[in-house]
Amino acid sequence: MLSVISYPLFALSVILSLVLSISLFPVDWFEYRPEWLGLMVFYWTFRAPAQFGVIMAWCLGLLLDILESTPLGVNAMGMALIAFLVLTIHQRLRMYPLPQLCLMVFLLLGINQMLVHFVKQLVGAESSGFSYLWPALTSALLWPVISSLLDHINRKLG
Amino acid sequence: MPGFRLFLVILVSAALIAADARFEKLTLVRSTLATGLAPVYWLGNAPSRFGDWFGGLFISRDDLQRENEELKTRMLILERRALKYAALASENNELRRLLNSAEVLDDRVIVGEVVGISPDPYSHEIVINKGEGDGVTVGQAVLDAEGLMGQVVQASQFTSRVLLVSDSSHAVPVEVIRNGLRAILLGSGEADELDLVYVPDTADIREGDILVSSGLGGRFPRGYPVAEVSEITKESGEPFVTIRTTPKAQLNQSRMVLVVFQPETREEEPVPETSASDEEEAR
Repeated sequence: MLSVISYPLFALSVILSLVLSISLFPVDWFEYRPEWLGLMVFYWTFRAPAQFGVIMAWCLGLLLDILESTPLGVNAMGMALIAFLVLTIHQRLRMYPLPQLCLMVFLLLGINQMLVHFVKQLVGAESSGFSYLWPALTSALLWPVISSLLDHINRKLG
Repeated sequence: MPGFRLFLVILVSAALIAADARFEKLTLVRSTLATGLAPVYWLGNAPSRFGDWFGGLFISRDDLQRENEELKTRMLILERRALKYAALASENNELRRLLNSAEVLDDRVIVGEVVGISPDPYSHEIVINKGEGDGVTVGQAVLDAEGLMGQVVQASQFTSRVLLVSDSSHAVPVEVIRNGLRAILLGSGEADELDLVYVPDTADIREGDILVSSGLGGRFPRGYPVAEVSEITKESGEPFVTIRTTPKAQLNQSRMVLVVFQPETREEEPVPETSASDEEEAR
């Protein structure tokens, strides 16, 4: 946990992750696009559990719903769930070595994807096997880079 | 404490999802928030705009001149065609008047640019840079230079979202240009393939036939090319033939699109999949 966090960095990282979730990714590889906003929610709740929590994550998820034009509340619920799970286990998360942390990222984002997928199916989307879990995997692989980068900037600015 | 909050937001989310997906009550909220997110769309499109600009810096004068020449030639050809078209249109209206039917007005269009595509790989949607501020409303047809692309399903102040004809929840009423045979064209979920359904195997349809929008659903204007029949498979015993068609519009390539304003505006409730669900009920 960092003692100080930089709010401008928080705002910037969130805006950037929103932009990244609608652009800058090859169309053919859409299935593998990391869940950028999920990563941000995980990172900020993990680093600053006192400041960021369920409600904030929910609001961010709502914005993602608009961008992805999913029914309002689907991604919001998923993001809130990620934040909640991080808050519940964050004492243990802090002890984990990096590979295990990556695994946790995969699990939590995977749970988020499953929830989103489940609700989408309920409101009538077409089924597509387990390929909806790819973003969780790519996000977990990106986690070491993203977290160390944000940690670095946080220390500089904080 | 977080548990209580989670419980709270799950309740709110469930209410929102129900209101949005089942009753479509949140169009206003959605378009307001989308308007607020306009900077995100703008930023998302910035890299490709920058790329265009950067590419533009390094075009040689010769290339530009050559392109200019080509465009002028092309314009001349098209203008000649337009001249003929104007004469034909007036003649057509003259004939329609003689038959005591209403005159056909030309559709008004505005040009928009594609600024984003749907991040969901399973839905075929694009975002264009024209919104309510430019008079775009839900249900308008969107074309590119080659044919029909889709319809506007959601409009915010500066951008709007277009459902492409290839989306699996989309249907267009079409007719064969050669003989007026009517059918329904369903999206298949693939950008380069549409399915023509419920055509009896005795119907007169051939490979290479052009399908144009028939205007029967009341949503799409009449007479715009939609697809070309590419493959017909007859299976004995089946009442209908399987017909695959290729869309005329460059669904995943076009950057410039046309939003059509139909001259006679009908007041309808803006339900995005109207054409699809109506046709399905009508069967």
